[in-house]
Amino acid sequence: MMTGWFLGAAVLGLGAGVVAGPRYPRAWLGVTLFSAVALLAAVVPVLAGAPAWDWRSGFLLSGASLHLRLDAVSALFLALLAVVAGAGTAYSHEYWSDRENPKTAPGGRRWWSSLVLCMACVLLASNGLHFLIAWELFTVSAYFLITLNRQQPEVRAAGWLYLAASHAGTLCLFAFFTLLMLATGGWDLGPLPGRTELAPLFWLALAGFGLKSGMFPLHIWLPSAHASAPSHVSAIMSGVSLKLGIYGLVRFSGWLPTPEAAGWVVLGLGAVSALLGAAFALAQNDLKRLLAYCSVENVGIILIGLGAALLGAAHGEVAWGRLALAGALLHVWNHGLFKGLLFLGAGSVLHATGTREMSRLGGLWRVMPWTAGLVALGAVAISGLPPLNGFVSEWLVYLGLIEAVIGHGTEAWIALPATILLAVAGALALASFVKLGATVFLGAPRTHAVEHAHESGPWMRWPMVALAVLCVMIGLLPAAVWPVVARTAAVWQTGVSPQPTPEFLATLGHVQPALALLLGLGVLLLWRRSCRNGLRRGPTWDCGYAEPTARMQYTGGSLADLAGEWFGWLFRPELLSRRPRGFFPAEGLRVARVPETVLERILTPAGGVVLQVSTAVRRMQHGRLQYYILYLLLGLLALGLIAISGGKS
Amino acid sequence: MIVIVETIARLAGWLLLAPLLPGIINKVKAWVAGRRGPPVLQLYYDLGRLWQRGVVLSSLASPGFIAGPAVAWVAIVGAALLLPLGPAGALLSFRGDALLVIYLLALARFGTAWAAMETGSAFEGMGTAREVSYAVLAEAAIITAMLTLSVHAQSITLVEMLTPASGVGAVLLGAGLFTVLLVENCRVPFDDPNTHLELTMIHEAMILDHSGPPLAAILHGASVKLLLFAVLLTESVVPLGHFSGPVACAVLALGVLTVTVGVGLVESLLARLAFRRVPLLLTTAILLCLFALLVAWKGGAA
Repeated sequence: MMTGWFLGAAVLGLGAGVVAGPRYPRAWLGVTLFSAVALLAAVVPVLAGAPAWDWRSGFLLSGASLHLRLDAVSALFLALLAVVAGAGTAYSHEYWSDRENPKTAPGGRRWWSSLVLCMACVLLASNGLHFLIAWELFTVSAYFLITLNRQQPEVRAAGWLYLAASHAGTLCLFAFFTLLMLATGGWDLGPLPGRTELAPLFWLALAGFGLKSGMFPLHIWLPSAHASAPSHVSAIMSGVSLKLGIYGLVRFSGWLPTPEAAGWVVLGLGAVSALLGAAFALAQNDLKRLLAYCSVENVGIILIGLGAALLGAAHGEVAWGRLALAGALLHVWNHGLFKGLLFLGAGSVLHATGTREMSRLGGLWRVMPWTAGLVALGAVAISGLPPLNGFVSEWLVYLGLIEAVIGHGTEAWIALPATILLAVAGALALASFVKLGATVFLGAPRTHAVEHAHESGPWMRWPMVALAVLCVMIGLLPAAVWPVVARTAAVWQTGVSPQPTPEFLATLGHVQPALALLLGLGVLLLWRRSCRNGLRRGPTWDCGYAEPTARMQYTGGSLADLAGEWFGWLFRPELLSRRPRGFFPAEGLRVARVPETVLERILTPAGGVVLQVSTAVRRMQHGRLQYYILYLLLGLLALGLIAISGGKS
Repeated sequence: MIVIVETIARLAGWLLLAPLLPGIINKVKAWVAGRRGPPVLQLYYDLGRLWQRGVVLSSLASPGFIAGPAVAWVAIVGAALLLPLGPAGALLSFRGDALLVIYLLALARFGTAWAAMETGSAFEGMGTAREVSYAVLAEAAIITAMLTLSVHAQSITLVEMLTPASGVGAVLLGAGLFTVLLVENCRVPFDDPNTHLELTMIHEAMILDHSGPPLAAILHGASVKLLLFAVLLTESVVPLGHFSGPVACAVLALGVLTVTVGVGLVESLLARLAFRRVPLLLTTAILLCLFALLVAWKGGAA
């Protein structure tokens, strides 16, 4: 079968990238792009409905024989990986080139190939041991990519936090796969229907994969890692790596039986992630940190869909469960595409100005019209507005939830608040992206950082255009992608045939292009009319204020202040302010910062307690031999006492 | 063919009738205050004049400054066309169209907010901040109202949701939706469309720098939005499905008129709220819609 050959070619290409990438940048570019195309070619038949590809080899790796499987679920995530990896590869050719980063670029190429290769292996592995190995290698590759720029202490800190958090998650996965192996007697993975005693394992998977997916409150590593990584790395981490956590949850909630409460918990966590992710995003002043928190929100939306599907499956197969799951799976694609686009756009801004601080930017549309337009498109898409793709997937999730509410069952008690929270999160996301677009691209330049800005070159521009085109296409042709997600939703838990394209989605497929056309016509008409009546340029009127300066513009911080106040109980912003005093004030100062609540207010104090206890225990270790001998004697005495008391009983 | 004629008729109805509402509101306000007030058709004259005028663009503004109002206008008119009109039904009806209406209004908000930020003016930034922040609470209220109708009618299609209206909880839902109408259309007590103190404005502050045809599009879009909310409010409170065709039309028109006069009276009798109080009132609206939802829930179970 061709699938195997294509996958083999992709793996070979990526492997060659790992080996030769550091020395030959052009060859690496070609080979990696070729691998991405080959991956895509391998998954397209499966997405189009071909039977799953299953491959076993007698070759033993760590004592277990190789077993790869490419079914619709894997294919959906692999397709996203191929697209985002392709875009990121081309982007990095200019963004992180040898000329600008001679020290780190070669290593960056190696680890990039390794990251893509390991993620593909995770998605293909059908053997618990190999899954774990690939998972660990993928985590480590991502660590080296995040810390490419490791001269900066904050990057090192972010990488360290990522590594620690990831390994906490991997620990859960170790436990999960080992217990699974003990229960089933082998590392081989596959559907295990009816083994209800395995259901509690789901909680381990939820912790392990949840940490990777960045759900609230396990997202602690995510904002700093995504903000500090080079932007093409942020794009693939946010667009695809988080989705591997989702993949794990989808995969093992489909293959293994799940506990009764699983749907409730996942839906609840999803709703909380959506709301708080969006709220935290609004409060950020760092361009990439805002995008990172927005990932938490979108992962929340995906989890809401998955939770609804689990609820639906638990209460007898109902249509709304699969509908919500289809929405969630489509959102996996959508979020990967528009978040990839936005992170690449943020990278272009960073590349051009050297700062991620939004309050230092402004007015960039004039020098970077392409980036500004593409980011604006991404902002509309990620806010879930019609006629783009974000709306389609959120709409499907909404429909699933509301159908659950209408069903009047017990599950309505969680579907109802989740619907309302989803709407609130949507409005908050809209506010965040108005803030992002407006403070970075509109108005007047706030600092000198903007003056030497330049539009990004073709290697950085066209990957963004490609992602934007995909966003538009999914938005305009939702009925065309439905069979893919419906098939995947059917493969999720076996025994269900895929739903044909529902009538309402077909109607939306007509409404969205019509809307796009009308929007275009409306803009054209108004533009033509304004030009015919005469366009005159003048300074901003601002109610007749004579000398407005760039510093007087509304900043992102002030834009978010009003809504941010409502979440003050959670944010606990730190404010440092020195007011100007006297008749001729010298200087004033106001610094506001929203701390990482979970990390800084909960985990760090808890970690402090652990550290104090350890310090206290360390006093026992002081290098005096006589005390050590005393410890040994005491230890022996204690052992002896235990042995004697055990012997008596 | 019939579809095309119907579309044009509906479009014409929405576009031509909408600017009447602000005129009526102003008349009511003038009448309460004992003034003669501007003519009812004042907005039509204004729109006609603005459409002929040239545009002064801020030197900072990008093409988005003109695209924003156009996007907002198309989105609002599109949302209006999706709304069923009593016995005439909807032009296009499918499951989940209620959500599309809500999200089209959000798209309109995105367009106006984006255009407002173009000029780099602090006033417009202030207006945008208020608009997008209060929308968070308004969105919660409106989705709750929609859930109420869905639960009562056991459907997510606007036509089926609005035919039986909201049943027993109608009073609660009506009060909640009326509050949402006031905030979404920037009326007193949330915003004062007549004020000249920019520091206290929301919507008016966002459009300070707009002129000519884009301003006309914004003003006309705002009036269509007002009509849209008035129709939605009437239809979700009054069970139009129980009346025969002509009567239902008359009731709908009467309902819209009542809402409009109600807005005028509120505006005459109430002062604008202090900004700190606005979230409180919006939370009240959410609670009203939530209680309506509970009533609908219980009603459905019985």
